[in-house]
Amino acid sequence: MRAAAFAGLLLLLAVPARAGDDIDRIPPLGDDKPADAAPDANRVVYLQNDVSLYARRTNLAVPLPPSPAASWEERLFADARLTFPLGNAVSFTYSGRLNFRADDDLPFPSHQNIRHDLREAYIAWQAGGGAFLEFGRINLKSGVALGYNPTDYFKTNAVVEPLSADPSVLREDRLGTLMFLAQKVWDGGALTLALAPKLQRPAAIGAPLPSFDPLFDRTNGRARVLLKASLTLFDDVNPEVLVYSEAGRTSFGLNLTRAFGQSVVGYLEWSGGSRAGLVQDAVASGAPPILPHDPARAFRSDLALGVSYAAPFETTFNLEYHCHQAGFSAADWRNWFDTGAAHAADPAVTGALWAIRGYASDRQEPLARGSLFARAAVQDAFVPDLALTAFVESDLRDGSGIAQVAADYDLSRRWSAGVLADATFGARRSDFGSLPGSLSVLARVSRYF
Amino acid sequence: MFSARFIALALLACTAAAHAQSAQEIVAAADLVRNPQAPYRSTVTDIAYRDGKPVDRNVFTVYAKIDPATKQFRDLVIYVDPPRDAGKMVLFRGNVLWFYDPASKDSVRIPPQQTLTGQASAGDILTENLAVNYTATLLGAETIDDAGREKRDCWHLDLKPANDGATYNRVEYWVEKITAHPIKAKFYSDSGRLLKILYYRNYTPGLGGVRPTQAVIIDAVDSALVTTVDFANAQYQDIPDAWFQRDYLPHVKAD
Repeated sequence: MRAAAFAGLLLLLAVPARAGDDIDRIPPLGDDKPADAAPDANRVVYLQNDVSLYARRTNLAVPLPPSPAASWEERLFADARLTFPLGNAVSFTYSGRLNFRADDDLPFPSHQNIRHDLREAYIAWQAGGGAFLEFGRINLKSGVALGYNPTDYFKTNAVVEPLSADPSVLREDRLGTLMFLAQKVWDGGALTLALAPKLQRPAAIGAPLPSFDPLFDRTNGRARVLLKASLTLFDDVNPEVLVYSEAGRTSFGLNLTRAFGQSVVGYLEWSGGSRAGLVQDAVASGAPPILPHDPARAFRSDLALGVSYAAPFETTFNLEYHCHQAGFSAADWRNWFDTGAAHAADPAVTGALWAIRGYASDRQEPLARGSLFARAAVQDAFVPDLALTAFVESDLRDGSGIAQVAADYDLSRRWSAGVLADATFGARRSDFGSLPGSLSVLARVSRYF
Repeated sequence: MFSARFIALALLACTAAAHAQSAQEIVAAADLVRNPQAPYRSTVTDIAYRDGKPVDRNVFTVYAKIDPATKQFRDLVIYVDPPRDAGKMVLFRGNVLWFYDPASKDSVRIPPQQTLTGQASAGDILTENLAVNYTATLLGAETIDDAGREKRDCWHLDLKPANDGATYNRVEYWVEKITAHPIKAKFYSDSGRLLKILYYRNYTPGLGGVRPTQAVIIDAVDSALVTTVDFANAQYQDIPDAWFQRDYLPHVKAD
């Protein structure tokens, strides 16, 4: 469509328009086609099939312990988000996905071929006057950044076998937390209290995923409390402050956004609190103490600072700087690689090293202390209904990173198809260059009901 | 001689001042025709036509309410159709725009310029009081064809941004003299390029007035593209101010 737009512009410049031409282009009244079913915004159901191919690195700096490593995966799933009214002010919401999957390292048939992800199931009561009470498994999202959300405290351990490394997809494919949520929203702001009890012992790092299990050991392995308040100070200044407590550790957060003219929005997301470094946290959560680790806590900050720019031709760019003070220090990286190289033939040691990274991945914590994230999205790229997105995230310490491009095309009102590819890059002893996955390609087709 | 020239200049100045004032009033009167001033909701259907054939169709529910502080509308737009977009929302609160996706329960702030993207941009389905965001100048009287090729005696107005809430750098606007019905508008980019031509048509009684129920948007850049925007099922509704807060979005249940 953009190419056509350019051609149209050139024609417009070259040939003076005839008066009245515009009216000739107007379709007659009533010349529309009704939808083939009454649409309902409270009900989204779709079926999707994904086929993925994976390429893996050989000669890793730290070898993986022997484990399944699929080179292809087939996944068919039914996904539903449904809200049912139970009365005048009460509703029930279910959000979940039933997966059927197979790959070249998975026995078939087995219980691993099928899995249900219960993302949300909660009852909501609108108490009136902008007050809400909700109870059940709720996906409570916080934060204003795109690539990394330091204040999205309920993201930890919530993502199960994501379909994409794109942070926006990770937020879709995650489990909610069983909680009691109370919220008051008024014209000048909002106050939110979330209480999430501990229901089970925390899941072990890299624990296998059962077929039918709400996985409360992942989302409710610790008691958690979140209090957040947003206030409209001026029309364009609407800060949100957060206080979060988990297992006796308190964090504070801040979200800010501001427009700069018509095309740019700037945003800042910060979280800080007293905590140990990533290695110590992983050890405290069950990773073998294979690396030097300091149990001392210090005030550490997480920051995402970014801008969003609405460019011509239906393109949006985001650029973000991410800071994660609890991430790997230079010494942590050196220890991780040196220990792995020295014990490359010992699966117990390499397994312990990868468990630390698995812990960070489960918690959606970057290893990097500083990174850059850039994303571009184009609507109606070249032809109508074709959306292109691409992002790259790079560790500022070693220049390694991950890049992804995706194309999604709406074949019709109910059918969509897409393809995405992501690749990691970097030196052998770098953050992303040391990962086993080098390239993956996914093709998908979806049918909405 | 001097006094006659002075009086003539004074009269000219007074006439110009009266025109400036009346231009703004004409735009305000046309706003009253387009938009009910009490809170209301409506179903909006946009259909994109390429070379005269419908190629895309979207349905939204729009809730609109005037902000007493700015006199401008705040809008909550809920995507209803196609099914893949059902439940997505855009909140417009002055220059503050949030896009909400129920799949991730994530709201992302977007730049105001992003309302201009898409075949039928979100900006085209919004309720807007042009008299609030633009300063009008009367260019003169003109008889033009409306969308049905009927002759209309109109005021021809030139609108320039009065504040940051104005989406376009310039708008040419034709308002029928007798009825204050908006008939046609032309929208220009910052660079002065004509972006789109808009016709209002299908005037129908509703919500205490006779209002246009269809806008026809003719893309001035892509000569094959035309979009119609239909407004239906409009009804007054008490809309709490809290609906226009970002934190309210996860609680919105579409009717």
